Amino acid sequence: MPTRQVVVFLALALLLLAVILELVRRRTLRIEYSWLWIAACLTTIVLILRYELLVELTGLVGAVVPTSTLFFLCILYLALLCLHYSIRISHLTHRVKDLAQEVALLRSHLEGPSD
Amino acid sequence: MNDPDVLFVIPALNEEANLPSVIQELRAAWPEALVLVVSDASADGTARVARELGAQAASLPFHLGYGGAVQTGIKYGLRQRMRVVVTFDADGQHDPADVGPLVQAVRDGADVAIGSRALAAGSYRGGIARRGGRALFGLLARLLTGLQLTDPTSGLKALGPRGQELFALSRFPDRYPDADALVLARRARLVITERPARMRPSRNRRSMHGGVRSVPYTFNMLFSLLVAATGRDVDLRR
Repeated sequence: MPTRQVVVFLALALLLLAVILELVRRRTLRIEYSWLWIAACLTTIVLILRYELLVELTGLVGAVVPTSTLFFLCILYLALLCLHYSIRISHLTHRVKDLAQEVALLRSHLEGPSD
Repeated sequence: MNDPDVLFVIPALNEEANLPSVIQELRAAWPEALVLVVSDASADGTARVARELGAQAASLPFHLGYGGAVQTGIKYGLRQRMRVVVTFDADGQHDPADVGPLVQAVRDGADVAIGSRALAAGSYRGGIARRGGRALFGLLARLLTGLQLTDPTSGLKALGPRGQELFALSRFPDRYPDADALVLARRARLVITERPARMRPSRNRRSMHGGVRSVPYTFNMLFSLLVAATGRDVDLRR
């Protein structure tokens, strides 16, 4: 990989890592949600510094060009991330429903019967 | 009838026009029973009207749909340790006279008693699409669990304590608890029974299952049925 590319992408990966760590530090991003992003940053950095690992992986999965392996990994990662969020949303939907029902029952208790 | 341990749960969305006759009719037939109207974030005075008529009212802060509203009332019944919780429609479809046999069935040991249009001679049964849908869901429920039901989508149900517990589960199918709910009940080894119930045509023109929404409803219900039949067993016996 040409040095220019290494420098540019390494800088981008490090910047993203810094942004994520800062978001966690400000509690904008919860720690349990930051692991996936940190892992993605670290993987990117490793692959930039050790390009031969990507080539090896390409041979392993039977792809021809390392770029397609990279794209494949990215899409897989994003798909899994979406699935993860769907699961979280389903979980939250249950909780929000239970809370709304609780609010209705408490409200009914406060207002009481009219007779 | 003298039944202070019976709770009527009436899920209602913008039903202030229909509620007076429904509640008055109900109170005439069941003077001792408790009536809880669950207003599904109605934009009109549904909760106020219910309270003026002497019923309890619970107002949801936002729209949850039929299943979520009914479940609210069932949770209430469970906490108040009601012997029987009856789910009753706000649009005047159900006849209070049909509730007696359902409550009696629960008192006799049933966990879920369903008011069935198919068992009642001369009942309003809805259009061809609804009848077809009911037949399809009934057939599927039978194929999946061996449960024999003539009217699996009926909204008129009486629930004993174990039935209430099942319907109050957080992960219970809370969109439209119909055939899928009964499949779950069957798998939880609850005792399910049917009694004839005459339904009147809804006074509400915008009925829940009508029109375009019946397409996603059908697919959701089919999927929900499969999930109910293949998911983990619910064990309510402790």
